[in-house]
Amino acid sequence: MSFLIRRGSKKYPYITARVRAMKSKLFPREVYPKLMNMDIPEITRLIGESEYKQDVDELAQKYSGLDLLEHALNQNLARTYRKLLRVSQDEPNFLITEYLRHWDIWNIKTILRGKYYGAQAQEILDAVVAAGQLGYRELTSIANMESIDDIKTALANSPYYAAIADYDGGELSAIENELDKIYYSRLLASIGKSKGEKLSLKYIKTEIDLKNLKTLFRTKKAGLVKDDIFELLIPGGMEFKSGDLNRMSSLPWSDFLKGLEDYSYWSEISEVVSEDMTSLMDVEALLDKYAMGYASRVSHYYPLSILPIYDYMLRKNMEINNIRTIVRGKKVKLPDEIIRKHLVM
Amino acid sequence: MVDISIADATVEQILANQKGLIAIGAGLAVGLSGIASGIAEKDIGAAAVGAMAEREELFGKGLILTVIPETIVIFGLVVAILLLFL
Repeated sequence: MSFLIRRGSKKYPYITARVRAMKSKLFPREVYPKLMNMDIPEITRLIGESEYKQDVDELAQKYSGLDLLEHALNQNLARTYRKLLRVSQDEPNFLITEYLRHWDIWNIKTILRGKYYGAQAQEILDAVVAAGQLGYRELTSIANMESIDDIKTALANSPYYAAIADYDGGELSAIENELDKIYYSRLLASIGKSKGEKLSLKYIKTEIDLKNLKTLFRTKKAGLVKDDIFELLIPGGMEFKSGDLNRMSSLPWSDFLKGLEDYSYWSEISEVVSEDMTSLMDVEALLDKYAMGYASRVSHYYPLSILPIYDYMLRKNMEINNIRTIVRGKKVKLPDEIIRKHLVM
Repeated sequence: MVDISIADATVEQILANQKGLIAIGAGLAVGLSGIASGIAEKDIGAAAVGAMAEREELFGKGLILTVIPETIVIFGLVVAILLLFL
């Protein structure tokens, strides 16, 4: 019966209007150059007077300086995403829940990475974002476990167990990749046929394309062989179907760049792509920008759908990443020019 | 059921019949336009409350936007009044 309710009723007007109001509270573009001219304590103060006030106030007793900012940003992200779950119903709620499982994957990866490098439980917990189905309490108990076997037992009932079942505490890249694949295949499979869900599908497939494109650039640049590259790609994209991925992963660097011209993403990145490019930073920044522009565009095409919510989630994440980039860049005294290149606005 | 043929009806009966039909027409004009504005207002109201939950200052705008479909029911009312009194 709940199945019918989810498919049948669409409660978008409330949540989309609310999300738009939330979006209007994000930092406008003009704030970032201002932040670039400030010191870390000044930035902390400005952040503490904005939407992050509650988080900064809560954590100010425990942390200070850069740590305080990092924790406040993480906590705020988790709080915002959980709020979206709390205020949505039916179809939007279902789609947001499925989408936010991304953070479960993120947290499992973080914990396993932490264990691999022998980090303390507290250090691991500093980096988790409890926005998915695994709550902070659950993550705390998992992070406190000593052995990998205990962690595996704790996650035995989760859908991600298949990826970590054979993990023995060694190299993580294969597991991480497997987790990503499980996440996307579950996400694509869980989305049904209603109009709202089809829109959601289109968005997610574009996201997969952009992810694959980044992976292709990185692996091609690093000179990996075809099978290794193909292993890292996520099937189910919009333009890059399985056949395309197979073909693209087997092409050498120059042919790969030529092959890209057949896809719509080429027009976005053609300016900075050349055969002798040394850094992928520009391409990745452009792809991130494209993702943001795409989300905002489709959210205007379909105002009463899940897309404005995805758009907001992406923007919130970008805002936090931008602030973090500025603060970390300042901490290690990077030149402003490089920090600016990393910002996605 | 009593079989009333229009040929057998008196003038008074026919006039009463017409009044009844006019009343039904007026009722439909108000009722249907009421339902229509209700349908239109439902989404706007939900959206207005959603926006207001985040930014209280949107109360005024939300209220005005919510009652705009109310004009439909006013048209219905005007039509009903014209039917009944003209």
